[in-house]
Amino acid sequence: MTVNDEALMQAVREGDLAQLGPLFDRYHLSLFDFLNRMTGNRHTAEDLVQEVFLRILKYRATWRDGARFETWVFRIARNARADYYSGRDSVGPLTEEAMDSPDATPGPEGQLEQEHQSARLQTALMSLREDRRELIVLARYQGLKHEAIAELLGIDVGAVKVRIHRALKELREIFLRISETPPCDVKTPPRSLPTI
Amino acid sequence: MRCEDTSAKLADYLAGTLSDADRQALESHARSCAACREELEGARDMWERLAHLRSAAPDAQAMRSRFDAMMGEAMREPGIASEGSGGAADARTPRFAVAPTHEPPLRSALPAARGRASRWMRRHRAVRPLLQAAAAAILVIVGIQVGRQMSTPAPITRASDVTALRDEVRDLRQMVTLSLMQQQSVTERLKGVSWSSQLDQPGNEVVSALIDTLMHDANVNVRLASIDALKRFAEREVVRSAAVRALDTQESPLVQMALIDFVVETQDREALEALRRLSRDDEANEAVRARASWGINHLEAA
Repeated sequence: MTVNDEALMQAVREGDLAQLGPLFDRYHLSLFDFLNRMTGNRHTAEDLVQEVFLRILKYRATWRDGARFETWVFRIARNARADYYSGRDSVGPLTEEAMDSPDATPGPEGQLEQEHQSARLQTALMSLREDRRELIVLARYQGLKHEAIAELLGIDVGAVKVRIHRALKELREIFLRISETPPCDVKTPPRSLPTI
Repeated sequence: MRCEDTSAKLADYLAGTLSDADRQALESHARSCAACREELEGARDMWERLAHLRSAAPDAQAMRSRFDAMMGEAMREPGIASEGSGGAADARTPRFAVAPTHEPPLRSALPAARGRASRWMRRHRAVRPLLQAAAAAILVIVGIQVGRQMSTPAPITRASDVTALRDEVRDLRQMVTLSLMQQQSVTERLKGVSWSSQLDQPGNEVVSALIDTLMHDANVNVRLASIDALKRFAEREVVRSAAVRALDTQESPLVQMALIDFVVETQDREALEALRRLSRDDEANEAVRARASWGINHLEAA
């Protein structure tokens, strides 16, 4: 029988540090994905995942029974990222490494177009206000339920749903605007697109 | 169903968590309301597109090694790793400074070194007061020396000294930039290329390194960044001829496009032949060929 996250974390708190191993196995990839999509930098994301687990270990005594581990660990990840970027530009140069290749492998023209589409979408995503980008990343890629996102962000579920809608609307507007510019102009996320 | 409900239901609709009845009501409303239909289709389109935007894979082995190293250290000295055991600390907001590094061995070596030092200290409790006294004495001596130095009137700094110092700083910056451009990490190389644009009067080595990056770097983003950085030196013959050569050798459509823009911006008519070759190249991407023709028209009209 699989031991749930909360029981593992409780064991870690009680001093059975080896139980952090299964939690690492379960969460390091989704944390990496979240941090990679938020920072646009693979190396920074890897560093921050390490930082998250270091913090879990360091602050294990503060784990409270009844809490949801998934929400707790993502809260630590958000804080680790915020601390990392305090005083820095939170969107560094977008690295090609942060993105994977497109799914299919069409011919050269199709591939170029797909490259452009992905680059535009990635640029649009990185141009979104951080809180909106975070909502999309949590809902679309981490598969967090709206209730979990609400708990994580400290807002009510209704607000989460409305904000996801707004974020998608804004993303679409930026994406369409970028799509009107010549492809070679889309290399790095524009730093100061006006907030809609 | 009213239009206001669309916004509240849309997130559930996309996540597939809307009840059948609500989904049907939403779709039925969208069929009769153009504005809500557009909202729904726009959001669904973005939701679908996002699904295809994949994230890079991490270096899982390195991550695991770093985690294991951290755990090994924590297991050896469990007391050191824990904080906030009084319960007063809020687990929801654990914060402390992050010292990021992209060098895993360094990350894991530092705690290990600290651990060894603290173990040594515990084993040699008896000598601790002696060490403290010695450290205090050293600090006092250093303090006296520094005080003497500072009370001595400084010689009048000559302009040539300032110039020499400025040159040294410039050389140092240049060295760091060149070194960054040689790194294995793409991020570091990008940083190097970007630093080159902040250098005051960069030497020929920097320009050569940028050209070398444009010609040979394995990463498209780094090559694109080098084109931007080289614009600053566009008046140099060596840079212009490198851009023309690159038009013949570069195969990435994005880089080719950026190079076409470069030669058009710099009004380099020497590039006309290379552009003509590119516009006729059957193997080149169609969009690139079209851009090359556009470049030819611009340069010929100039």
